[in-house]
Amino acid sequence: MLKTLVLLTVLFLPLPVHALDGTQLLKQVDRNLNPESYESYRKLINIEPDGRKKEYTLFTVKKGVDKIASLFIAPASEKGRSTLRLGENMWLYIPNVGKPVRITSLQSVVGGIFNNADILQLDYASEYNVEKVEETDREYLLHLKAKTRTVAYDRLKFCADKARKLPTRIECLTETGMLIKTIYFKKIKEFGGGIVRPAVVETDSPLYKGYKSVMIFAGIKKRTLKDEIFTLTFMPNFDSLR
Amino acid sequence: MNTFRLTTLSLFLGVAILALYVNDAFSEEYGFDISEVEKKPYHLGGYIEFRPVLFGLDRDAALYKLKFYNRDEGEIIGEYNGKFQVDGSLEKGIGRLFVRINSDYRNSYQGDSFLTTFYEGYLSLKPSSSFSLAMGKRSLRWGKGYAWNPAAFLDRPKDPEDPELSQEGFIVASADYIKSFSGPLQTLSLTPVLLPVYDGLNDDFGKLHHINVGGKLYLLLYDTDLDFIFLTGGSKTTSWGFDVSRNITTNFEMHGEFAFLSGFQKRYLAPDGRILAREFDATSWLAGIRYLTEQDTTCIVEYYRNGVGFSGGETRDYFAFVNGAYDTYRATGDDDQLRKAAGLAEVGYGRMNPMRDYLYARVSQKEPFDILYLTPAITAIVNLNDGSFSLSPELFYTGITNWELRLKGTLLEEGSLTEFGEKQNDFRVELRVRYYF
Repeated sequence: MLKTLVLLTVLFLPLPVHALDGTQLLKQVDRNLNPESYESYRKLINIEPDGRKKEYTLFTVKKGVDKIASLFIAPASEKGRSTLRLGENMWLYIPNVGKPVRITSLQSVVGGIFNNADILQLDYASEYNVEKVEETDREYLLHLKAKTRTVAYDRLKFCADKARKLPTRIECLTETGMLIKTIYFKKIKEFGGGIVRPAVVETDSPLYKGYKSVMIFAGIKKRTLKDEIFTLTFMPNFDSLR
Repeated sequence: MNTFRLTTLSLFLGVAILALYVNDAFSEEYGFDISEVEKKPYHLGGYIEFRPVLFGLDRDAALYKLKFYNRDEGEIIGEYNGKFQVDGSLEKGIGRLFVRINSDYRNSYQGDSFLTTFYEGYLSLKPSSSFSLAMGKRSLRWGKGYAWNPAAFLDRPKDPEDPELSQEGFIVASADYIKSFSGPLQTLSLTPVLLPVYDGLNDDFGKLHHINVGGKLYLLLYDTDLDFIFLTGGSKTTSWGFDVSRNITTNFEMHGEFAFLSGFQKRYLAPDGRILAREFDATSWLAGIRYLTEQDTTCIVEYYRNGVGFSGGETRDYFAFVNGAYDTYRATGDDDQLRKAAGLAEVGYGRMNPMRDYLYARVSQKEPFDILYLTPAITAIVNLNDGSFSLSPELFYTGITNWELRLKGTLLEEGSLTEFGEKQNDFRVELRVRYYF
């Protein structure tokens, strides 16, 4: 009887431990990438094959694992627009239209390769399960599977630096394994308050050959935020948080 | 040897300068200084717009006869429109003053006109993130429908052909209370509104000498937006309604609105030319979807039941009356009946989508052929009661920072005694150039 118990323990114990390690690792990477609650300023640049660029500047606040909101500060044509995400619910507020409308994660409020889910990215661990973890000398490769069908990408191949536990490259795939886009994390920078993370996030896509979109972070800091900020009613007032 | 050294040095310097240039270009490309986004206590912005329009007139249509019975402007007329809209705000502590002023210029066959309107102008106080007060002229824009909002009792009706245009508000006092929860109910917010109607104060809202009370209760419940809305007070009939919106998948959204109007009074034209009034309880509702395909095609489809609208028979009677009035004018020179018909157009028959059942469908393709920021679209508005429709193809381009270009055409179905067939135009082509500052 005792032998049987030992055998069962040996057979089944490694699986959950391995899965737990992957999940813990992903949570660690999430935390290193962003504090749980923070504010940030970032610039989004869409670059066309001929070098032409279009830039957007956003102020973003995030709280916990499922609340994030962004306000467009520039250019003038976008100023005052705001986006809100609560879990898989997303809204866009346009000052001229005067009311928030629901948007979907696969749409893009800025055009180019970044879609709404990329711009309003939640913690990866809140949206994905870790199916498998592979290791090389310098990197972890996490194979992630979306927890629900409402997540923008069904699968991610998530490469993370072993020493810093920060993402270096993420391949976003469909359910059938087709590559939608690759996201590259570059230029590790000290933002103060113990936040050390990539300052530049680039993406390209085989679906948009020659095009590139870049996100540059200029400031990230921890901030305590009330839940009521992350509501439709508050959307027209996001600018008051700056 | 010296020549070789000089050449090598030149090459080295050239490469170094190039490297510096490349490095500068790289820094320039990725440069972002936090000082660029420093917030100021005031804001001034807006846009300036130029919009030339070409109208192809339908000289047999009833509404053409109503407008042009005593003049001949040919078959095609042009019009130049200019718009200047400016937003300004000033913030101090918990207070914020916001103003939106709209100026429209028009040069048409009727001459020049210029109109400046305060669209909005209000003071808001926000003592906390969960409570705020506002007083002044505001556009509330309630409801979830894209083209129509039957439950937006406190707003002016929007133009389904351009539903995203900003609108003039009403002078109101309002408050917002927000509470967040964990669990199936994530958000609750309450917005009570007072809207007084007196001489010179919201006098185009409804009957004078009433203080109207309205409100909205918003819930985010089980990932679904729900609004419960009401209005009472005497200037308009007491109304209540609700709207709902939910993302079904990452690319599929559903929404709807319902409105109940108690004791709505409708004026309509009898076949013998008498103006009759009828009072009844009306229900209006809307159901719609927004769907994004894998090819980045967005489809918006809405069905609208307008419970206060005219029936097919009532509309046919009206158009037949206009045609008869026009024949009388041609025979006798008496335009009394035409003037009577024009008066009725203002109270109902001439307003946007005056009948009962409509279908709105808009298909837009994001960035076709990898052309960034270009969005071609086609919009159809179908009157399901008489089968008439309008069809509007458009090209929308936002590739130049702070500029928007839109080329839009509209074709109207030409059926006799139908809503779109009896409009004054057969087609319309317009270019809209907007610059934001």
